[in-house]
Amino acid sequence: MAALFGGVCLALLLAGQSHCATSLIGQPAPDFALRSLSGENIRLSEHLGEVVVINFWATWCGPCRQEMPALDELYAKYKLAGLTLLGVNIDDSNASARAAEMAQGLKVSYPVLFDDRKEVARAFDVSAMPLTVMIDREGVVRQVYEGFKPGQQKRYAEQLRELLNQ
Amino acid sequence: MNRVSTMFSQAGLWLMLAFAMAAPLHAQETAAAADTPLAGDAAPAAAPETSAAATDATTGDFKSLDQEVQSLKKDVLDLNRELFVLEEDLLFPANTQVAVFVSMDVGEFFALDSVTLKIDNKEVANYLYTEREAQALLKGGVHRVYIGNLKTGDHELVALFTGQGPHERDYRRGATLKLTKGVGARYVELKISDRASRAQPEFIVKEWE
Repeated sequence: MAALFGGVCLALLLAGQSHCATSLIGQPAPDFALRSLSGENIRLSEHLGEVVVINFWATWCGPCRQEMPALDELYAKYKLAGLTLLGVNIDDSNASARAAEMAQGLKVSYPVLFDDRKEVARAFDVSAMPLTVMIDREGVVRQVYEGFKPGQQKRYAEQLRELLNQ
Repeated sequence: MNRVSTMFSQAGLWLMLAFAMAAPLHAQETAAAADTPLAGDAAPAAAPETSAAATDATTGDFKSLDQEVQSLKKDVLDLNRELFVLEEDLLFPANTQVAVFVSMDVGEFFALDSVTLKIDNKEVANYLYTEREAQALLKGGVHRVYIGNLKTGDHELVALFTGQGPHERDYRRGATLKLTKGVGARYVELKISDRASRAQPEFIVKEWE
């Protein structure tokens, strides 16, 4: 029921948009600043020169629960090589406590940001959940993954190794 | 804005015209390339000179057409540049322009988190400051948080500041400015400074002369 409600919310959020996030591949990533779970504000453009992975997630999204620990493993492995991982929660502001609880429960070590105004989700044309965007050191979107299936983290790792080596 | 749209439609038409001109040219080139050997096959030895002359004439025509297309393309690019400048002038004309800047002085009693700006009760800007940006403001940097246009007349500008005040307590304060917009650009500064006597931050909204 929650998933259905979330799906409807996402559809409403993105109503009227004919684009999808993959159209951003090869384009400079839209800049944004969001409040993080730790209280710090994080701006994407301040991470220019690093490989950035942005993972859009929501509490009502089942696959997000599977993907976040997998991403955390990759973050732990490649953090020192110059990887920045940002988890962007797109729940409404009244659900941010639940989102914080979920992130803490999953023990993710990367920064979790809250996009309760959905401005960043709109800028990245988020039309599926979860959505993972890989950005190279020059701030250009290089890969977009919609949804998550177990085993997909291997493709993430391959792509990240390639981006980190550039 | 309608005028800008019309200008862009016109630019679009120019571009379409340029491509429409270019497309038949390529078609002609292809057809000519296909035709030439056939003509040669039909009269291999009868009129080699005539054939050579015809080829020269055709090549000359193509060169001329190619030059025309190049010239047309250049015109389109020039028009595009002029439209870009015109768009800037129309969207942010100097006479109606209003710009709002944020600055900080000392900052011992206030750690800036965000600034929300409302003009005539409508939110026009909401900016979250990162640690690095806040440090830059403390070092004397000035951040342009908003640029837009306002009609002449009276307007109300409200700035809401959030952050951490003394004793790391969450702090939210507003400052208002009644702005009378006349002819010419207006610049407003939102200044955050310390009032040492009360150990409190102070929020000042002032217009630059």
